[in-house]
Amino acid sequence: MIYTIVYGLTIGAILYFISIGLSLTFGTMRVINFAHTITYTIGVYVLITLVNFLKWYFPLGAILAILAVIPISYLIERFIIRRLYGESLDYTFIATFAVALIGVDVIKWIWGVRPLPISDPIGKYLTFWGLSLPIYRILIVMIAILLFLALNIFFKKTIVGKIVVAALEDKDGVRCLGINVDKYFSIVFVLGSALAALGGVLYAPISSVHPYMGLSVLLLSFAVVIVGGMGNLNGTFLSAFGLGMVMSLTARYWSQGAETMVFIVMAIVLIFRPIDI
Amino acid sequence: MKDHGIISSLLIAGGFLLITPILSIHRVTDFMIFCIFAMSFDLLYGYMGRLSFGHMLFLGTGAYGCGLFIKYISGNPLLGILVGIAVTGLLGMLLGLIIVRTTGACFALINLAFNHIGFFLVLSPLRNITRGEDGFGVSASKLGLLNFGSRPIIFGFVLLCVMLVFYLLKKLTSSPYGIMIRSIKEDETRVRFLGYNTFLYKWLTFVLAGSIAGLAGTLTALNYNYVNPNAMDVNSNVGVVFACLIGGAGNLYGALIGGVTYMIISNFLPIYIYRWEMFLGFSLLIIVFRFRTGVWGYIQRGWEYLGKRKEVPRSVKKEAI
Repeated sequence: MIYTIVYGLTIGAILYFISIGLSLTFGTMRVINFAHTITYTIGVYVLITLVNFLKWYFPLGAILAILAVIPISYLIERFIIRRLYGESLDYTFIATFAVALIGVDVIKWIWGVRPLPISDPIGKYLTFWGLSLPIYRILIVMIAILLFLALNIFFKKTIVGKIVVAALEDKDGVRCLGINVDKYFSIVFVLGSALAALGGVLYAPISSVHPYMGLSVLLLSFAVVIVGGMGNLNGTFLSAFGLGMVMSLTARYWSQGAETMVFIVMAIVLIFRPIDI
Repeated sequence: MKDHGIISSLLIAGGFLLITPILSIHRVTDFMIFCIFAMSFDLLYGYMGRLSFGHMLFLGTGAYGCGLFIKYISGNPLLGILVGIAVTGLLGMLLGLIIVRTTGACFALINLAFNHIGFFLVLSPLRNITRGEDGFGVSASKLGLLNFGSRPIIFGFVLLCVMLVFYLLKKLTSSPYGIMIRSIKEDETRVRFLGYNTFLYKWLTFVLAGSIAGLAGTLTALNYNYVNPNAMDVNSNVGVVFACLIGGAGNLYGALIGGVTYMIISNFLPIYIYRWEMFLGFSLLIIVFRFRTGVWGYIQRGWEYLGKRKEVPRSVKKEAI
Protein backbone atom coordinates (compact mmCIF):
# COMPACT_ATOMS: atom_id res chain seq x y z
CA MET A 1 0.00 0.00 0.00
CA ILE A 2 2.85 2.37 0.86
CA TYR A 3 4.27 1.73 -2.60
CA THR A 4 0.95 2.68 -4.17
CA ILE A 5 0.85 5.91 -2.23
CA VAL A 6 4.42 6.84 -3.14
CA TYR A 7 3.75 5.96 -6.76
CA GLY A 8 0.60 8.10 -6.79
CA LEU A 9 2.39 11.02 -5.20
CA THR A 10 5.15 10.83 -7.82
CA ILE A 11 2.68 10.89 -10.68
CA GLY A 12 0.76 13.65 -8.95
CA ALA A 13 3.95 15.70 -8.70
CA ILE A 14 4.75 15.24 -12.38
CA LEU A 15 1.19 16.12 -13.37
CA TYR A 16 1.44 19.19 -11.16
CA PHE A 17 4.57 20.43 -12.94
CA ILE A 18 2.93 20.11 -16.32
CA SER A 19 -0.49 21.40 -15.35
CA ILE A 20 0.66 24.69 -13.81
CA GLY A 21 1.73 26.01 -17.19
CA LEU A 22 -1.53 24.93 -18.83
CA SER A 23 -3.62 26.36 -16.06
CA LEU A 24 -1.79 29.69 -16.09
CA THR A 25 -1.84 29.99 -19.88
CA PHE A 26 -5.51 29.29 -19.94
CA GLY A 27 -6.34 31.52 -17.00
CA THR A 28 -4.47 34.53 -18.33
CA MET A 29 -4.59 34.25 -22.10
CA ARG A 30 -7.63 32.03 -22.69
CA VAL A 31 -5.50 29.84 -24.88
CA ILE A 32 -5.73 26.05 -24.63
CA ASN A 33 -2.14 25.28 -25.21
CA PHE A 34 -1.42 22.05 -27.04
CA ALA A 35 2.09 23.29 -27.77
CA HIS A 36 2.84 22.38 -24.16
CA THR A 37 3.59 18.84 -25.31
CA ILE A 38 6.46 20.16 -27.34
CA THR A 39 8.25 22.05 -24.63
CA TYR A 40 7.84 19.01 -22.43
CA THR A 41 9.18 16.56 -24.99
CA ILE A 42 12.02 18.79 -26.18
CA GLY A 43 13.23 19.18 -22.61
CA VAL A 44 13.40 15.41 -22.25
CA TYR A 45 15.23 14.93 -25.54
CA VAL A 46 17.80 17.61 -24.76
CA LEU A 47 18.39 15.90 -21.43
CA ILE A 48 18.87 12.54 -23.13
CA THR A 49 21.33 14.00 -25.59
CA LEU A 50 23.36 15.55 -22.80
CA VAL A 51 23.26 12.63 -20.38
CA ASN A 52 23.41 9.61 -22.70
CA PHE A 53 25.65 10.86 -25.47
CA LEU A 54 27.81 13.53 -23.86
CA LYS A 55 27.92 11.71 -20.49
CA TRP A 56 27.12 14.75 -18.42
CA TYR A 57 25.86 14.56 -14.88
CA PHE A 58 22.11 14.30 -14.59
CA PRO A 59 21.44 17.48 -12.55
CA LEU A 60 23.56 19.61 -14.87
CA GLY A 61 21.86 18.08 -17.92
CA ALA A 62 18.47 18.66 -16.36
CA ILE A 63 19.16 22.34 -15.69
CA LEU A 64 20.50 22.87 -19.21
CA ALA A 65 17.49 21.06 -20.70
CA ILE A 66 15.13 23.37 -18.86
CA LEU A 67 17.15 26.41 -19.96
CA ALA A 68 17.08 25.18 -23.58
CA VAL A 69 13.30 25.13 -23.50
CA ILE A 70 13.04 28.80 -22.52
CA PRO A 71 14.01 30.35 -25.90
CA ILE A 72 11.88 27.82 -27.78
CA SER A 73 8.83 28.58 -25.70
CA TYR A 74 9.49 32.29 -26.09
CA LEU A 75 9.48 31.89 -29.86
CA ILE A 76 6.24 29.92 -29.76
CA GLU A 77 4.67 32.60 -27.60
CA ARG A 78 5.94 35.46 -29.71
CA PHE A 79 4.94 34.13 -33.11
CA ILE A 80 1.94 31.89 -32.50
CA ILE A 81 0.24 32.47 -29.18
CA ARG A 82 0.46 36.26 -29.23
CA ARG A 83 -1.46 36.37 -32.48
CA LEU A 84 -4.23 34.32 -30.96
CA TYR A 85 -5.28 36.62 -28.12
CA GLY A 86 -8.97 37.24 -28.29
CA GLU A 87 -9.53 34.68 -31.04
CA SER A 88 -12.20 32.04 -30.63
CA LEU A 89 -11.01 28.99 -28.77
CA ASP A 90 -11.28 26.70 -31.79
CA TYR A 91 -8.61 28.55 -33.68
CA THR A 92 -6.22 28.71 -30.74
CA PHE A 93 -6.78 25.03 -30.21
CA ILE A 94 -6.04 24.16 -33.82
CA ALA A 95 -3.05 26.48 -34.10
CA THR A 96 -1.36 25.16 -30.98
CA PHE A 97 -2.11 21.62 -32.08
CA ALA A 98 -0.42 22.42 -35.37
CA VAL A 99 2.63 23.62 -33.41
CA ALA A 100 2.57 20.33 -31.52
CA LEU A 101 2.46 18.38 -34.78
CA ILE A 102 5.39 20.32 -36.21
CA GLY A 103 7.35 19.86 -33.02
CA VAL A 104 6.75 16.11 -32.91
CA ASP A 105 7.92 15.85 -36.48
CA VAL A 106 11.05 17.89 -35.76
CA ILE A 107 11.85 15.57 -32.87
CA LYS A 108 11.33 12.54 -35.10
CA TRP A 109 13.61 14.15 -37.64
CA ILE A 110 16.44 14.85 -35.23
CA TRP A 111 16.24 11.96 -32.79
CA GLY A 112 14.32 9.27 -34.65
CA VAL A 113 11.14 7.46 -33.70
CA ARG A 114 12.62 4.72 -31.55
CA PRO A 115 12.12 5.02 -27.79
CA LEU A 116 15.31 6.01 -26.01
CA PRO A 117 16.28 4.70 -22.59
CA ILE A 118 17.48 6.81 -19.70
CA SER A 119 18.29 5.34 -16.33
CA ASP A 120 17.36 6.43 -12.84
CA PRO A 121 20.12 8.90 -11.90
CA ILE A 122 20.18 7.99 -8.20
CA GLY A 123 19.26 4.34 -8.27
CA LYS A 124 19.41 3.96 -4.49
CA TYR A 125 16.65 2.84 -2.19
CA LEU A 126 15.58 4.17 1.14
CA THR A 127 14.99 1.22 3.43
CA PHE A 128 13.04 1.42 6.63
CA TRP A 129 10.51 -0.83 8.38
CA GLY A 130 11.20 -3.50 5.84
CA LEU A 131 10.19 -1.25 2.95
CA SER A 132 12.51 -0.04 0.24
CA LEU A 133 11.48 3.08 -1.61
CA PRO A 134 13.42 4.58 -4.51
CA ILE A 135 14.94 7.85 -3.33
CA TYR A 136 14.36 9.36 -6.75
CA ARG A 137 10.58 9.20 -6.41
CA ILE A 138 10.67 10.73 -2.96
CA LEU A 139 12.88 13.49 -4.34
CA ILE A 140 10.32 14.27 -7.05
CA VAL A 141 7.56 14.65 -4.48
CA MET A 142 9.80 16.90 -2.36
CA ILE A 143 10.56 19.09 -5.37
CA ALA A 144 6.86 19.39 -6.16
CA ILE A 145 6.02 20.52 -2.65
CA LEU A 146 8.92 22.98 -2.61
CA LEU A 147 7.79 24.31 -5.97
CA PHE A 148 4.26 24.72 -4.72
CA LEU A 149 5.51 26.81 -1.79
CA ALA A 150 7.85 28.79 -4.03
CA LEU A 151 5.08 29.54 -6.52
CA ASN A 152 2.77 30.61 -3.73
CA ILE A 153 5.41 33.06 -2.52
CA PHE A 154 6.02 34.18 -6.10
CA PHE A 155 2.36 34.91 -6.73
CA LYS A 156 1.69 36.52 -3.37
CA LYS A 157 4.86 38.53 -2.70
CA THR A 158 6.51 39.57 -5.97
CA ILE A 159 5.16 42.27 -8.23
CA VAL A 160 5.26 40.06 -11.33
CA GLY A 161 3.28 37.39 -9.54
CA LYS A 162 0.76 39.91 -8.26
CA ILE A 163 0.22 41.31 -11.75
CA VAL A 164 -0.34 37.80 -13.11
CA VAL A 165 -2.82 36.95 -10.36
CA ALA A 166 -4.64 40.21 -11.04
CA ALA A 167 -4.69 39.44 -14.75
CA LEU A 168 -6.20 36.04 -14.01
CA GLU A 169 -9.08 37.87 -12.38
CA ASP A 170 -9.52 40.74 -14.78
CA LYS A 171 -7.21 41.21 -17.71
CA ASP A 172 -8.70 44.45 -18.97
CA GLY A 173 -8.64 45.98 -15.53
CA VAL A 174 -4.90 45.38 -15.29
CA ARG A 175 -4.38 46.79 -18.75
CA CYS A 176 -6.28 49.92 -17.73
CA LEU A 177 -3.71 50.50 -15.01
CA GLY A 178 -1.15 51.08 -17.74
CA ILE A 179 0.59 47.74 -17.32
CA ASN A 180 1.84 46.01 -20.44
CA VAL A 181 -0.02 42.75 -19.89
CA ASP A 182 1.45 41.01 -22.93
CA LYS A 183 4.93 41.18 -21.44
CA TYR A 184 3.77 39.45 -18.29
CA PHE A 185 1.84 36.91 -20.30
CA SER A 186 4.97 35.91 -22.12
CA ILE A 187 6.77 35.59 -18.79
CA VAL A 188 3.97 33.34 -17.59
CA PHE A 189 4.10 31.30 -20.76
CA VAL A 190 7.85 30.79 -20.55
CA LEU A 191 7.59 29.95 -16.86
CA GLY A 192 4.89 27.39 -17.54
CA SER A 193 6.89 25.82 -20.36
CA ALA A 194 10.03 25.63 -18.22
CA LEU A 195 8.02 23.91 -15.49
CA ALA A 196 6.64 21.46 -18.05
CA ALA A 197 10.22 20.75 -19.11
CA LEU A 198 11.11 20.21 -15.45
CA GLY A 199 8.25 17.72 -15.19
CA GLY A 200 9.43 15.96 -18.33
CA VAL A 201 13.02 15.84 -17.20
CA LEU A 202 12.06 14.37 -13.85
CA TYR A 203 9.58 11.91 -15.34
CA ALA A 204 11.85 10.66 -18.14
CA PRO A 205 13.89 8.21 -16.03
CA ILE A 206 10.77 6.44 -14.72
CA SER A 207 8.85 6.31 -17.99
CA SER A 208 9.57 5.65 -21.64
CA VAL A 209 10.83 8.42 -23.94
CA HIS A 210 9.37 8.65 -27.43
CA PRO A 211 8.24 11.54 -29.67
CA TYR A 212 4.57 11.16 -28.78
CA MET A 213 5.14 10.96 -25.03
CA GLY A 214 3.85 14.50 -24.61
CA LEU A 215 0.39 13.85 -26.00
CA SER A 216 -0.74 11.26 -23.50
CA VAL A 217 0.65 13.20 -20.56
CA LEU A 218 -0.95 16.36 -21.89
CA LEU A 219 -4.37 14.74 -21.93
CA LEU A 220 -3.92 13.78 -18.29
CA SER A 221 -2.85 17.27 -17.34
CA PHE A 222 -5.83 18.74 -19.16
CA ALA A 223 -7.93 16.53 -16.94
CA VAL A 224 -6.02 17.89 -13.94
CA VAL A 225 -6.63 21.47 -15.02
CA ILE A 226 -10.33 20.88 -15.59
CA VAL A 227 -10.80 19.08 -12.27
CA GLY A 228 -8.78 21.70 -10.40
CA GLY A 229 -10.39 24.67 -12.08
CA MET A 230 -8.90 26.71 -14.91
CA GLY A 231 -6.41 29.22 -13.59
CA ASN A 232 -6.80 28.09 -10.00
CA LEU A 233 -3.30 27.35 -8.70
CA ASN A 234 -4.17 25.69 -5.40
CA GLY A 235 -6.89 23.70 -7.09
CA THR A 236 -4.39 22.50 -9.65
CA PHE A 237 -2.06 21.35 -6.88
CA LEU A 238 -4.78 19.39 -5.11
CA SER A 239 -6.28 17.87 -8.23
CA ALA A 240 -2.85 16.86 -9.57
CA PHE A 241 -2.09 14.85 -6.45
CA GLY A 242 -5.66 13.60 -6.20
CA LEU A 243 -5.67 12.30 -9.76
CA GLY A 244 -2.18 10.89 -9.26
CA MET A 245 -3.56 8.86 -6.37
CA VAL A 246 -6.57 7.82 -8.47
CA MET A 247 -4.18 6.58 -11.14
CA SER A 248 -1.98 4.59 -8.80
CA LEU A 249 -4.90 3.12 -6.86
CA THR A 250 -6.56 2.02 -10.09
CA ALA A 251 -3.29 0.64 -11.38
CA ARG A 252 -2.96 -1.45 -8.23
CA TYR A 253 -6.14 -3.37 -8.96
CA TRP A 254 -6.51 -2.96 -12.70
CA SER A 255 -3.26 -1.98 -14.31
CA GLN A 256 -4.51 -0.93 -17.76
CA GLY A 257 -7.40 1.15 -16.50
CA ALA A 258 -5.33 3.85 -14.78
CA GLU A 259 -5.54 6.56 -17.45
CA THR A 260 -9.15 5.83 -18.24
CA MET A 261 -10.10 6.27 -14.60
CA VAL A 262 -8.71 9.81 -14.71
CA PHE A 263 -10.95 10.66 -17.65
CA ILE A 264 -13.94 9.13 -15.91
CA VAL A 265 -13.25 11.36 -12.91
CA MET A 266 -12.97 14.33 -15.26
CA ALA A 267 -16.27 13.46 -16.93
CA ILE A 268 -17.98 13.21 -13.54
CA VAL A 269 -16.57 16.57 -12.51
CA LEU A 270 -17.78 18.12 -15.75
CA ILE A 271 -21.27 16.71 -15.26
CA PHE A 272 -21.66 18.27 -11.85
CA ARG A 273 -19.75 21.45 -12.47
CA PRO A 274 -19.74 22.33 -16.16
CA ILE A 275 -17.25 25.01 -17.10
CA ASP A 276 -18.37 27.65 -19.54
CA ILE A 277 -15.47 28.46 -21.76
CA MET B 1 -30.70 30.16 -58.10
CA LYS B 2 -32.44 27.90 -55.62
CA ASP B 3 -30.22 25.04 -54.64
CA HIS B 4 -32.07 21.77 -55.00
CA GLY B 5 -30.60 19.01 -52.91
CA ILE B 6 -31.19 16.35 -55.55
CA ILE B 7 -29.42 18.16 -58.35
CA SER B 8 -26.38 19.00 -56.28
CA SER B 9 -26.09 15.46 -54.92
CA LEU B 10 -26.23 14.16 -58.48
CA LEU B 11 -23.54 16.67 -59.43
CA ILE B 12 -21.41 15.47 -56.53
CA ALA B 13 -21.85 11.86 -57.61
CA GLY B 14 -20.80 12.97 -61.10
CA GLY B 15 -17.72 14.64 -59.64
CA PHE B 16 -16.70 11.50 -57.80
CA LEU B 17 -17.26 9.39 -60.92
CA LEU B 18 -15.13 11.87 -62.85
CA ILE B 19 -12.12 11.53 -60.56
CA THR B 20 -12.40 7.73 -60.41
CA PRO B 21 -10.48 7.02 -63.66
CA ILE B 22 -7.72 9.46 -62.66
CA LEU B 23 -7.20 8.05 -59.17
CA SER B 24 -8.45 4.52 -58.66
CA ILE B 25 -11.64 2.88 -57.57
CA HIS B 26 -10.07 1.85 -54.25
CA ARG B 27 -8.97 5.32 -53.45
CA VAL B 28 -12.18 7.04 -54.44
CA THR B 29 -14.17 4.65 -52.23
CA ASP B 30 -11.91 5.67 -49.36
CA PHE B 31 -12.32 9.31 -50.26
CA MET B 32 -16.09 9.09 -50.26
CA ILE B 33 -16.21 7.38 -46.89
CA PHE B 34 -13.97 10.07 -45.50
CA CYS B 35 -16.23 12.71 -47.06
CA ILE B 36 -19.23 11.27 -45.21
CA PHE B 37 -17.20 11.50 -42.03
CA ALA B 38 -16.11 15.07 -42.83
CA MET B 39 -19.72 16.11 -43.49
CA SER B 40 -20.83 14.71 -40.15
CA PHE B 41 -18.01 16.60 -38.46
CA ASP B 42 -18.97 19.73 -40.35
CA LEU B 43 -22.51 19.51 -39.01
CA LEU B 44 -21.07 19.62 -35.51
CA TYR B 45 -18.22 22.06 -36.03
CA GLY B 46 -19.11 24.16 -39.04
CA TYR B 47 -22.82 24.51 -38.44
CA MET B 48 -23.12 24.32 -34.69
CA GLY B 49 -19.69 25.72 -33.82
CA ARG B 50 -18.69 22.90 -31.49
CA LEU B 51 -15.16 21.73 -32.18
CA SER B 52 -14.79 18.10 -31.23
CA PHE B 53 -11.42 16.44 -30.91
CA GLY B 54 -12.93 13.03 -30.46
CA HIS B 55 -15.13 12.42 -33.45
CA MET B 56 -13.20 9.26 -34.29
CA LEU B 57 -14.97 7.64 -31.35
CA PHE B 58 -18.16 7.50 -33.41
CA LEU B 59 -16.43 6.26 -36.52
CA GLY B 60 -14.80 3.54 -34.46
CA THR B 61 -18.02 2.62 -32.68
CA GLY B 62 -19.79 2.29 -36.03
CA ALA B 63 -16.99 0.12 -37.40
CA TYR B 64 -16.89 -2.11 -34.33
CA GLY B 65 -20.66 -2.29 -34.01
CA CYS B 66 -21.06 -3.39 -37.60
CA GLY B 67 -18.01 -5.65 -37.56
CA LEU B 68 -18.94 -7.45 -34.35
CA PHE B 69 -22.54 -7.90 -35.48
CA ILE B 70 -21.42 -9.45 -38.74
CA LYS B 71 -18.82 -11.60 -37.05
CA TYR B 72 -20.88 -12.98 -34.19
CA ILE B 73 -24.56 -12.65 -35.05
CA SER B 74 -25.41 -12.50 -38.71
CA GLY B 75 -23.59 -11.91 -41.95
CA ASN B 76 -26.21 -9.62 -43.40
CA PRO B 77 -24.35 -6.42 -44.38
CA LEU B 78 -27.40 -4.15 -44.47
CA LEU B 79 -28.45 -5.24 -41.00
CA GLY B 80 -24.83 -4.75 -39.94
CA ILE B 81 -24.89 -1.17 -41.17
CA LEU B 82 -28.17 -0.50 -39.40
CA VAL B 83 -26.86 -2.02 -36.17
CA GLY B 84 -23.67 0.02 -36.46
CA ILE B 85 -25.63 3.24 -36.89
CA ALA B 86 -28.02 2.32 -34.10
CA VAL B 87 -25.19 1.57 -31.68
CA THR B 88 -23.48 4.84 -32.53
CA GLY B 89 -26.72 6.76 -32.20
CA LEU B 90 -27.32 5.21 -28.80
CA LEU B 91 -23.79 6.08 -27.69
CA GLY B 92 -24.30 9.62 -28.97
CA MET B 93 -27.57 9.90 -27.03
CA LEU B 94 -25.92 8.80 -23.80
CA LEU B 95 -22.69 10.78 -24.14
CA GLY B 96 -24.56 13.74 -25.57
CA LEU B 97 -26.38 14.22 -22.29
CA ILE B 98 -23.02 14.93 -20.68
CA ILE B 99 -20.98 16.41 -23.50
CA VAL B 100 -23.49 18.87 -24.93
CA ARG B 101 -23.62 20.82 -21.68
CA THR B 102 -20.10 22.10 -22.30
CA THR B 103 -18.85 24.50 -24.94
CA GLY B 104 -15.60 25.57 -26.54
CA ALA B 105 -12.45 23.95 -25.31
CA CYS B 106 -14.24 21.84 -22.73
CA PHE B 107 -16.36 20.30 -25.46
CA ALA B 108 -13.27 19.45 -27.48
CA LEU B 109 -11.44 18.03 -24.49
CA ILE B 110 -14.25 15.95 -23.08
CA ASN B 111 -14.77 14.44 -26.52
CA LEU B 112 -11.08 13.69 -26.64
CA ALA B 113 -11.33 12.06 -23.22
CA PHE B 114 -14.21 9.85 -24.29
CA ASN B 115 -12.41 8.94 -27.46
CA HIS B 116 -9.45 7.92 -25.36
CA ILE B 117 -11.68 5.79 -23.15
CA GLY B 118 -13.25 4.13 -26.20
CA PHE B 119 -9.87 3.41 -27.75
CA PHE B 120 -8.70 1.91 -24.51
CA LEU B 121 -11.88 -0.18 -24.13
CA VAL B 122 -11.52 -1.87 -27.50
CA LEU B 123 -7.80 -2.28 -26.98
CA SER B 124 -7.74 -4.08 -23.65
CA PRO B 125 -10.82 -4.79 -21.51
CA LEU B 126 -12.88 -6.03 -24.46
CA ARG B 127 -9.90 -7.87 -25.84
CA ASN B 128 -11.67 -11.21 -25.92
CA ILE B 129 -14.33 -9.89 -28.26
CA THR B 130 -12.43 -7.31 -30.29
CA ARG B 131 -9.10 -9.16 -30.46
CA GLY B 132 -7.25 -6.05 -29.25
CA GLU B 133 -4.59 -4.59 -31.48
CA ASP B 134 -4.84 -7.31 -34.10
CA GLY B 135 -8.41 -6.49 -35.01
CA PHE B 136 -10.62 -9.01 -36.76
CA GLY B 137 -11.87 -9.77 -40.24
CA VAL B 138 -15.36 -8.83 -41.33
CA SER B 139 -16.80 -11.03 -44.03
CA ALA B 140 -20.30 -9.98 -44.96
CA SER B 141 -22.41 -12.55 -46.76
CA LYS B 142 -23.82 -11.90 -50.23
CA LEU B 143 -27.27 -10.41 -50.36
CA GLY B 144 -28.61 -10.82 -53.87
CA LEU B 145 -26.74 -8.32 -56.01
CA LEU B 146 -25.25 -6.64 -52.97
CA ASN B 147 -21.93 -8.41 -52.73
CA PHE B 148 -19.54 -6.42 -50.58
CA GLY B 149 -16.62 -8.46 -51.81
CA SER B 150 -16.76 -6.88 -55.23
CA ARG B 151 -15.14 -3.51 -55.79
CA PRO B 152 -17.61 -1.82 -58.15
CA ILE B 153 -20.58 -2.81 -56.00
CA ILE B 154 -19.12 -1.38 -52.82
CA PHE B 155 -18.11 1.71 -54.79
CA GLY B 156 -21.67 2.17 -56.00
CA PHE B 157 -23.08 1.57 -52.55
CA VAL B 158 -20.78 4.12 -50.94
CA LEU B 159 -21.57 6.59 -53.72
CA LEU B 160 -25.26 6.13 -52.97
CA CYS B 161 -24.56 6.70 -49.27
CA VAL B 162 -22.66 9.93 -50.01
CA MET B 163 -25.55 11.21 -52.12
CA LEU B 164 -28.07 10.24 -49.47
CA VAL B 165 -26.11 11.84 -46.63
CA PHE B 166 -25.50 14.97 -48.64
CA TYR B 167 -29.16 15.25 -49.60
CA LEU B 168 -30.28 14.69 -46.03
CA LEU B 169 -27.85 17.20 -44.57
CA LYS B 170 -28.61 19.72 -47.29
CA LYS B 171 -32.32 19.52 -46.51
CA LEU B 172 -31.69 19.63 -42.78
CA THR B 173 -29.32 22.56 -42.80
CA SER B 174 -31.58 24.69 -44.98
CA SER B 175 -34.60 23.91 -42.80
CA PRO B 176 -35.57 25.93 -39.69
CA TYR B 177 -33.60 23.38 -37.71
CA GLY B 178 -30.48 24.35 -39.65
CA ILE B 179 -31.08 28.00 -38.95
CA MET B 180 -31.50 27.13 -35.29
CA ILE B 181 -28.17 25.35 -34.99
CA ARG B 182 -26.45 28.16 -36.86
CA SER B 183 -27.90 30.69 -34.46
CA ILE B 184 -26.65 28.56 -31.58
CA LYS B 185 -23.21 28.91 -33.12
CA GLU B 186 -23.56 32.67 -33.30
CA ASP B 187 -24.97 33.33 -29.85
CA GLU B 188 -26.47 30.62 -27.74
CA THR B 189 -27.58 32.88 -24.91
CA ARG B 190 -29.78 34.91 -27.20
CA VAL B 191 -31.37 31.82 -28.69
CA ARG B 192 -32.15 30.57 -25.22
CA PHE B 193 -33.47 33.99 -24.36
CA LEU B 194 -35.93 33.74 -27.25
CA GLY B 195 -37.43 30.75 -25.49
CA TYR B 196 -35.93 27.87 -27.46
CA ASN B 197 -34.67 24.78 -25.77
CA THR B 198 -31.10 24.92 -27.05
CA PHE B 199 -30.09 21.81 -25.17
CA LEU B 200 -32.48 19.70 -27.20
CA TYR B 201 -31.19 21.06 -30.50
CA LYS B 202 -27.57 20.64 -29.52
CA TRP B 203 -28.25 17.12 -28.33
CA LEU B 204 -30.08 16.23 -31.54
CA THR B 205 -27.23 17.61 -33.64
CA PHE B 206 -24.71 15.70 -31.59
CA VAL B 207 -26.63 12.44 -32.01
CA LEU B 208 -27.11 13.06 -35.72
CA ALA B 209 -23.46 13.89 -36.32
CA GLY B 210 -22.48 10.82 -34.32
CA SER B 211 -24.80 8.53 -36.27
CA ILE B 212 -23.54 9.76 -39.64
CA ALA B 213 -19.97 9.25 -38.47
CA GLY B 214 -21.13 5.78 -37.43
CA LEU B 215 -22.36 5.18 -40.98
CA ALA B 216 -18.91 6.17 -42.23
CA GLY B 217 -17.47 3.69 -39.72
CA THR B 218 -19.66 0.80 -40.88
CA LEU B 219 -18.69 1.53 -44.47
CA THR B 220 -15.02 1.54 -43.47
CA ALA B 221 -15.44 -1.87 -41.88
CA LEU B 222 -17.20 -3.30 -44.96
CA ASN B 223 -14.76 -1.64 -47.33
CA TYR B 224 -11.63 -3.05 -45.74
CA ASN B 225 -13.31 -6.26 -44.54
CA TYR B 226 -11.34 -5.62 -41.42
CA VAL B 227 -11.61 -3.66 -38.17
CA ASN B 228 -8.80 -2.73 -35.82
CA PRO B 229 -8.35 -0.04 -33.14
CA ASN B 230 -6.95 2.35 -35.74
CA ALA B 231 -10.58 3.06 -36.60
CA MET B 232 -10.80 4.80 -33.23
CA ASP B 233 -7.32 6.30 -33.08
CA VAL B 234 -7.32 9.55 -31.10
CA ASN B 235 -4.60 11.10 -33.25
CA SER B 236 -6.58 10.71 -36.46
CA ASN B 237 -8.96 13.44 -35.33
CA VAL B 238 -6.58 16.01 -36.73
CA GLY B 239 -7.34 14.79 -40.21
CA VAL B 240 -11.02 15.57 -40.12
CA VAL B 241 -10.49 18.94 -38.45
CA PHE B 242 -7.98 19.79 -41.15
CA ALA B 243 -10.36 18.61 -43.88
CA CYS B 244 -13.17 20.79 -42.58
CA LEU B 245 -10.96 23.83 -42.25
CA ILE B 246 -9.28 23.56 -45.62
CA GLY B 247 -12.60 23.15 -47.39
CA GLY B 248 -14.26 25.89 -45.40
CA ALA B 249 -16.18 25.09 -42.24
CA GLY B 250 -19.91 25.60 -42.14
CA ASN B 251 -20.62 24.38 -45.64
CA LEU B 252 -21.32 20.92 -46.98
CA TYR B 253 -19.53 21.57 -50.27
CA GLY B 254 -16.61 22.81 -48.21
CA ALA B 255 -16.60 19.56 -46.25
CA LEU B 256 -16.62 17.54 -49.49
CA ILE B 257 -13.84 19.55 -51.10
CA GLY B 258 -11.86 19.47 -47.88
CA GLY B 259 -12.35 15.74 -47.51
CA VAL B 260 -11.11 15.04 -51.01
CA THR B 261 -8.20 17.48 -50.63
CA TYR B 262 -7.14 15.97 -47.34
CA MET B 263 -7.32 12.44 -48.71
CA ILE B 264 -5.27 13.42 -51.76
CA ILE B 265 -2.70 15.07 -49.50
CA SER B 266 -2.49 12.16 -47.09
CA ASN B 267 -2.44 9.55 -49.86
CA PHE B 268 0.02 11.12 -52.25
CA LEU B 269 2.08 13.57 -50.26
CA PRO B 270 3.94 11.00 -48.12
CA ILE B 271 5.31 9.58 -51.36
CA TYR B 272 6.96 12.88 -52.24
CA ILE B 273 7.43 14.59 -48.90
CA TYR B 274 8.73 12.47 -46.09
CA ARG B 275 7.91 15.00 -43.37
CA TRP B 276 4.24 15.23 -44.10
CA GLU B 277 3.14 15.71 -40.49
CA MET B 278 5.16 18.90 -40.49
CA PHE B 279 3.53 19.96 -43.72
CA LEU B 280 0.13 19.35 -42.13
CA GLY B 281 1.12 21.45 -39.12
CA PHE B 282 2.32 24.37 -41.21
CA SER B 283 -0.72 24.30 -43.45
CA LEU B 284 -3.00 24.28 -40.40
CA LEU B 285 -1.16 27.36 -39.12
CA ILE B 286 -1.51 29.09 -42.47
CA ILE B 287 -5.22 28.27 -42.59
CA VAL B 288 -5.77 29.60 -39.09
CA PHE B 289 -3.88 32.83 -39.68
CA ARG B 290 -4.58 33.67 -43.30
CA PHE B 291 -7.10 31.42 -44.92
CA ARG B 292 -10.05 31.04 -42.60
CA THR B 293 -12.82 30.69 -45.13
CA GLY B 294 -11.16 27.74 -46.82
CA VAL B 295 -11.30 26.75 -50.47
CA TRP B 296 -15.08 26.95 -50.68
CA GLY B 297 -15.03 30.45 -49.20
CA TYR B 298 -12.79 31.57 -52.06
CA ILE B 299 -14.96 29.86 -54.67
CA GLN B 300 -18.02 31.54 -53.20
CA ARG B 301 -16.35 34.93 -53.21
CA GLY B 302 -15.28 34.47 -56.80
CA TRP B 303 -18.84 33.47 -57.72
CA GLU B 304 -20.28 36.52 -56.03
CA TYR B 305 -17.73 38.69 -57.77
CA LEU B 306 -18.72 37.28 -61.17
CA GLY B 307 -22.40 37.71 -60.31
CA LYS B 308 -21.88 41.34 -59.40
CA ARG B 309 -20.01 42.10 -62.58
CA LYS B 310 -22.92 40.78 -64.59
CA GLU B 311 -25.47 42.65 -62.54
CA VAL B 312 -23.81 46.02 -62.56
CA PRO B 313 -24.56 46.96 -66.18
CA ARG B 314 -28.19 45.89 -65.79
CA SER B 315 -28.77 48.23 -62.87
CA VAL B 316 -27.03 51.00 -64.78
CA LYS B 317 -29.40 50.41 -67.68
CA LYS B 318 -32.42 50.59 -65.40
CA GLU B 319 -31.27 53.91 -64.05
CA ALA B 320 -30.70 55.18 -67.57
CA ILE B 321 -34.23 54.24 -68.54
